[in-house]
Amino acid sequence: MKSRFLAALGMTILLCSVGLAQSKPVVLKGGKLLTITHGVIENGALVMINGKITAVGPAASVNVPAGAQVINVTGMTIYPGLIDSETNLGLTEISAENSTNDLLEPSDEIMPHMHVYDAFHAESELIPVARINGVTNAIVAPENRDTLPGQDSFIQLDGKSANEMLQVRDIAMPLNFTGEQRRNESFEKRKFPETRMGMAAQLRQAFLDAQDYDLHWAEYQKKKADYDNNKGEKKSAPSAPKHDLKSEALLPYLRGQKPIVLAAEGPSDLETAVNLAREFKLKFVLNHVSHSQPVLDYIATLKVPVIVGPIYEAPKPEERYDAIYSLPAQLYKRGVKIAFASFDAHNVRNLPYQAGYAVAFGLPYDEALKAVTLNPAEIWGVADRMGSLDVGKSANVVVANGDPLDIKTDVKQVYIGGNAIPMTSRQTRLRDEYSGK
Amino acid sequence: MHRFATYLTVVCCAVCLSAFGQTSAPAAHNEVLIKNAVVMTVTHGNIKNGSVYIKDGKIAAVGANVTAPASATVVDAGGKYVTPGIIDSHSHIALDDDVNEATSPVTPQMMMIDAFDYQDKAIYRALAGGVTTSLLLHGSANMIGGQAIVIKHKYGLSRDAMMFPGAPRSIKFASGENPKRVYGGRDQIPSTRMGNFAVQREALVQAQDYMREWDDYNAKVQRGVEDAKRPKRDLKLEALADVLRGKLLVQIHCYRADEFLTEIAMAKEFGYKLRAFHHALEAYKVPDQIAAANVGIATFADWWGYKNEAWDAIPWNAVMAMRKGVIVAIKSDSEDFTRRLNQEAAKTIRYGGATEQEALKMITWNAAWIIGVEDRVGSIDTGKDADLVIWDGYPLSSYGVPDKVFIDGDVYFDRSLPGLGMTHYKEGE
Repeated sequence: MKSRFLAALGMTILLCSVGLAQSKPVVLKGGKLLTITHGVIENGALVMINGKITAVGPAASVNVPAGAQVINVTGMTIYPGLIDSETNLGLTEISAENSTNDLLEPSDEIMPHMHVYDAFHAESELIPVARINGVTNAIVAPENRDTLPGQDSFIQLDGKSANEMLQVRDIAMPLNFTGEQRRNESFEKRKFPETRMGMAAQLRQAFLDAQDYDLHWAEYQKKKADYDNNKGEKKSAPSAPKHDLKSEALLPYLRGQKPIVLAAEGPSDLETAVNLAREFKLKFVLNHVSHSQPVLDYIATLKVPVIVGPIYEAPKPEERYDAIYSLPAQLYKRGVKIAFASFDAHNVRNLPYQAGYAVAFGLPYDEALKAVTLNPAEIWGVADRMGSLDVGKSANVVVANGDPLDIKTDVKQVYIGGNAIPMTSRQTRLRDEYSGK
Repeated sequence: MHRFATYLTVVCCAVCLSAFGQTSAPAAHNEVLIKNAVVMTVTHGNIKNGSVYIKDGKIAAVGANVTAPASATVVDAGGKYVTPGIIDSHSHIALDDDVNEATSPVTPQMMMIDAFDYQDKAIYRALAGGVTTSLLLHGSANMIGGQAIVIKHKYGLSRDAMMFPGAPRSIKFASGENPKRVYGGRDQIPSTRMGNFAVQREALVQAQDYMREWDDYNAKVQRGVEDAKRPKRDLKLEALADVLRGKLLVQIHCYRADEFLTEIAMAKEFGYKLRAFHHALEAYKVPDQIAAANVGIATFADWWGYKNEAWDAIPWNAVMAMRKGVIVAIKSDSEDFTRRLNQEAAKTIRYGGATEQEALKMITWNAAWIIGVEDRVGSIDTGKDADLVIWDGYPLSSYGVPDKVFIDGDVYFDRSLPGLGMTHYKEGE
């Protein structure tokens, strides 16, 4: 125990000397590489140059580039940075303090023109807390209490500014149909839509409005083109329709250019939401489906990925205690591609443990690891850039002293884009201050 | 209304179907021998290839060489881990919406037994996570809240059969943001921490007077004074007088370092003892003072940032406090966390380097100490209640899952059973 600790300490000191920006090639040598795409390489080596992975393989067969810094990671486990498929990072600091929250615009239920990048707080103290446990990328979503609360961004948990960290703006749009969006909080506060019928009708109207809006603009463009081509004739110029940000925001989704993240819990909500999505030919991935055990076969027929859980959601009173713990395994068995999400901000760091617990309830280990790396990268369309230890991908790489999904494992170093991230947070600073370091 | 309808349905079913939920009394305590286990005793290390012999609901023997009569039922643990039942020292399950009498900042006469919904499935789900004993506390809206109950998770039995026999009485105090938010929001006192402690002090001063009146009266009666006037009984002050007399364990919801010190000083001034600070997320800032006052803490492993007084929370808190001599428990305060306290305890290995035994102790013996039942449960020692968990996988990891849970020597949860996995409860289907 003691010697292991000293070895780890030695490595920390070694890694601290790496410094912030990747100025020269770095080679992680001697560790166990969990590549995700091509198995486990014991005693492997991984080369990072200019922010990218340039070589991965057995230590004996990987060439060390000239001038490279070689770091001995013998005894360590190396894996790709973890990807959290739904967080509120950068939208909140202290949950109960409203002045620190930019989570949701509750004045209307249809708010597709809200963009989380307009609120994203790059200097949030929550981000270092998450990334020093190996989470390098995340979806940032608004809170789920509107049916259409706005559009998600995909972030990297390091960068000099919000612009650098916001890797893909408006990557997807949540459509929440879990019942929590009903405006029936209290008798005094109830207003439309206070039922699921109301929610569905309101959504349908919003999509129809956007379709009309699209048509009006198309007609206008056509008239304008005619007018421009026949300037000699003395017709008056057509007037442009008014801009409507809400409808405009829905267009990429109506055209199937971007995915809707369709959130439902139980079977009836799920089927209503799916039917609505089909009616408007929306491209979608599913979110939560926590209480949909009776319709898992139906979900499989949809051939769409599922952001599952969180598996810590309480089962319904009639359900067995492990109904949701075992949901990832049940979906996997039916051939559904799954990804995990913390659905949180402060506790993003605990994302890997959810995957680990799903293993305890039947999900194969390799699939659990994929569900926090490659699967989300594929679902969000960034698999060419991340999600596995492969040549050409961004050097988002984690060095830990063991199994990434186990709680006891200590993350020793995180690289994002080849940069060795300082392994500090507001919390480590408080720890050091009060332990006299 | 809908809830009520559901309740009626349930009651009707119970009448129609004798199978519902009730209370086949536990089987007469057969003798049980759990063998071929890694026994994690908590108090004296792990015993590889160990056995536990249970007789009459108690642990009769534990060790590598245990002999049991041939009549004992043998449970072969197949090399798996056996731990004491997990103890949650801060829970509000099965209290539904009746957890906070938030109409006055001083309500020590509230009794959690009056709110206890013994059929709440949360009790079962915690049991399936290995929890055998919980302290069910009043909420934190009031500086002085109500009186707790200690339950054993014998799901399927009657309400009273779930009570931990002979457990000491605890009372919930609170401080900080919650009372000031609840009452300040209504333009009442307290709306500041000054107001908080003024309210608490005022109540304690009244209790002193009340206690003196009764002591005087009782002394007069004892002396044979015939016209001694019996003071009026006041449930609220009676409960507080019991605090001053040391008859109740005081469990204080308290986050900030300065508030620990104020509470310690006030307890000293009024002569009552504090048992534990709950949440206690800033214990790492003043661990020496907490240890010197012999106050324990029941804390979260890594939960933080949900409100201002949780902003300085760090996941090293538990171990930093423990290293300075504070008795530390990891608790749930949640229907969710209570189902996987083993994982929460494992975080103390990661953050601060607790040993396996220290980590396990935070959800067993230390939690039992906070509740005041450490002589009865919380370790695998001869003479203690046979509250035991057989685990599939290593319990202090992401992968540990209870296979079987024993309480007082009987199996109450068995993962291998179909349906809910219950032995004393049947669905009224």
